[in-house]
Parts: sequence; structure tokens; C-alpha cells
Amino acid sequence: MSRARDMRSLRRSQQFGKFRVMQLNLVPLVDTFVSIVFFTLTTTTVGELAPVVPGVTLPETTVGTPALSQLTLGVGATVTLANHPVMATLDAAAEPSDDPRMPLKIPTLYRAMKHMADSLRKANGSDDEGGVKISLAIQGDKTMRYDLLSRFMQTARMAGFRKLSLQVQRVGSGP
Amino acid sequence: MASSYFHRTRLRRVQRGAGMRGNEGGHLNLVPLVDILTSIVFFSLLTYTGTALAALTSFDLVLPPVVVTSPEEVKQIKSEKDVLNLLLAVRVTNDHLEIEHSAEGGFHTRIDSLNTASLDSLQALMTELRARYPQNRDVTVIPSDEVAYDDIVRVLERLKMARFSAIALGTKARATKVTTP
Repeated sequence: MSRARDMRSLRRSQQFGKFRVMQLNLVPLVDTFVSIVFFTLTTTTVGELAPVVPGVTLPETTVGTPALSQLTLGVGATVTLANHPVMATLDAAAEPSDDPRMPLKIPTLYRAMKHMADSLRKANGSDDEGGVKISLAIQGDKTMRYDLLSRFMQTARMAGFRKLSLQVQRVGSGP
Repeated sequence: MASSYFHRTRLRRVQRGAGMRGNEGGHLNLVPLVDILTSIVFFSLLTYTGTALAALTSFDLVLPPVVVTSPEEVKQIKSEKDVLNLLLAVRVTNDHLEIEHSAEGGFHTRIDSLNTASLDSLQALMTELRARYPQNRDVTVIPSDEVAYDDIVRVLERLKMARFSAIALGTKARATKVTTP
């Protein structure tokens, strides 16, 4: 009698064993979602911020419009265009213009900027010599003199960059 | 007795298995998470270029105004808004500021030094000019060659605070190469 009850109990447990819930391991899925959320937040927050060109100490201000990432001319010890070094700043300051009508022009920088402007025009599908629609941001060291800054600005305008902006570091609120 | 013992043993084994399954659920595998975090740290270090991200702000510059004389250039003016009715300029040197405009027979004033007090005076005067000529939002800043970029930005900051939105940086006419120490 006891044996029959034991056998029934065994069969019942085996039958219920057929209806066990299958295990579904959700841990890798959750990990993947964690990665996606991390990179999404990183790229949306950091991707549009303008990075400071290495080696440049920017002036500080309390006003101005928020700066977004754009084509940048950095002027520290080295002149960089879109993070690519073009020439040393001292060489840029000492280089004479090759155009008597444009005494502020820096020929080496002009060639790099013209190449960049032509690439942008080609990418936008406009082959004319009109101005580039993209704004050029200048990040200059705060100790730079204006005569050098004016040379960079004129060279940029000659290369086709009509829209210029000065990117500086924002601190606190206005006085 | 022997078969009864066998079946009891079998039954206990089945029950033990079911009991063990019943105790599942508190197990969380953190190894893949650690793997992914390790990957993130690795690629973050690999792609780090040393560029610092900071809260930057920008001063958008406009081209300085030009005097139009030829009839062809006059025809290109699309609307009256393109014509400035006030030429306003701020000259910046290392020891003083000069403000000039073309209205009322010409205006010229000088503010000595380039410190916080003189910049406050500049801001007050420019705010007054902005209120007196509300249609004019253009100003041309003409720094001397020796003025530091930091000082120029301080002047631009005060002009922005005086609500001048179209700021141009001008430079004096030159015929020779500029030398910079």
C-alpha cells in the first residue's frame, strides 16, 4: 500500500516536471541595454559640446551664446585647423604675406584653409567661389595680440569663411 | 524490503531535486556586466585624446560695415534694414577706450585706462546709446595691434551686456607686413 502511494507520488512529480518553466537568461540583454544607454547619454551630452583645443588657455567671459562643436581654428603654440596642426604660431606671425593688397594674409594657413573651404563647398554641392556657409570658430590663447588675431581673421575670410566666431570659456554669471 | 528501499531512495532523490529547483531565483550572474564595463573603460581610455570639455561660449562676429558709393552696389541693398543709420565704433588701446558715432554731428568720448571701472563706464555709455538709437544694434570694435586678446574679449563682453548683437572686429589699414613678437 505504501509502495503504491510512493509510486503515485513519483509519477505525479514526474508529470509536473514536464511543465517546469523554461529558464530565460535576461542578464546579457540587460547588460546590452546598459551599454546602449551609456553610449547614448555620452554622445548626446558630449557630442555637441565644443572641445577646447589642447594647449590653449582661453579668455573667460560671463556672456555669449553657448558654443557647439564646429570647425575650429586653434591658436596656441601651434596653429591647428580641425585639430590638425598646420604650422607653429611663431612661424605664422613671422610669415610675410605674398599678396601686396592683403598684407595680413598668412600664405601657409591660407592654403590649408582654402583646401578645407573647397572640400566643404564640394561636400555641399556648390562649386562657386562664394563664401562657406559653415561658421569657423577661433579658439585663441588669451595672451595673443590683436595684430596676430586680425591676421588669422583676414586669412580665414580670404579663404572663404565669411562667418567667424570667437570661442571663449564661460565662467559664472555676469557682474 | 529491498525493492521498498529502492523506491524510497528514488523518491527521496526526486524530492531532493524538486527542492533544489525550488530554491533557485537568488542567483544573479554579474560576469557579463563586468565584461561590458571593462570594454567601456578600455575603449574610453583608448580613444581619450586629452581634449578637455568645458562650457564654452562664442561671440559671433559680423563683417564691418562698408561705405557704398557705386550705383550697382546701391541696387544690391535689399531693404532699408541693411542700411546703418548710425556708425558706432569703439577703439581699444592698452591705456584707454574711445567711443565714436556718426549721429548728431559726430560724437567722441574717451575713457581712460582699461580696468574694471572703465569697462563699467563703457557698458553704461553703450547701454545709453543703445537706448537712444534702438534700431541700431551694430558696433565695430577697433583694437590696437598691441592689445591682448583677453582684453578684447572683456570689451566684447560689455558690449554684449549692453545688448549690441552685431559686433564686428575691425583693424586699421596697413600697407606692410605685421610683425608679432
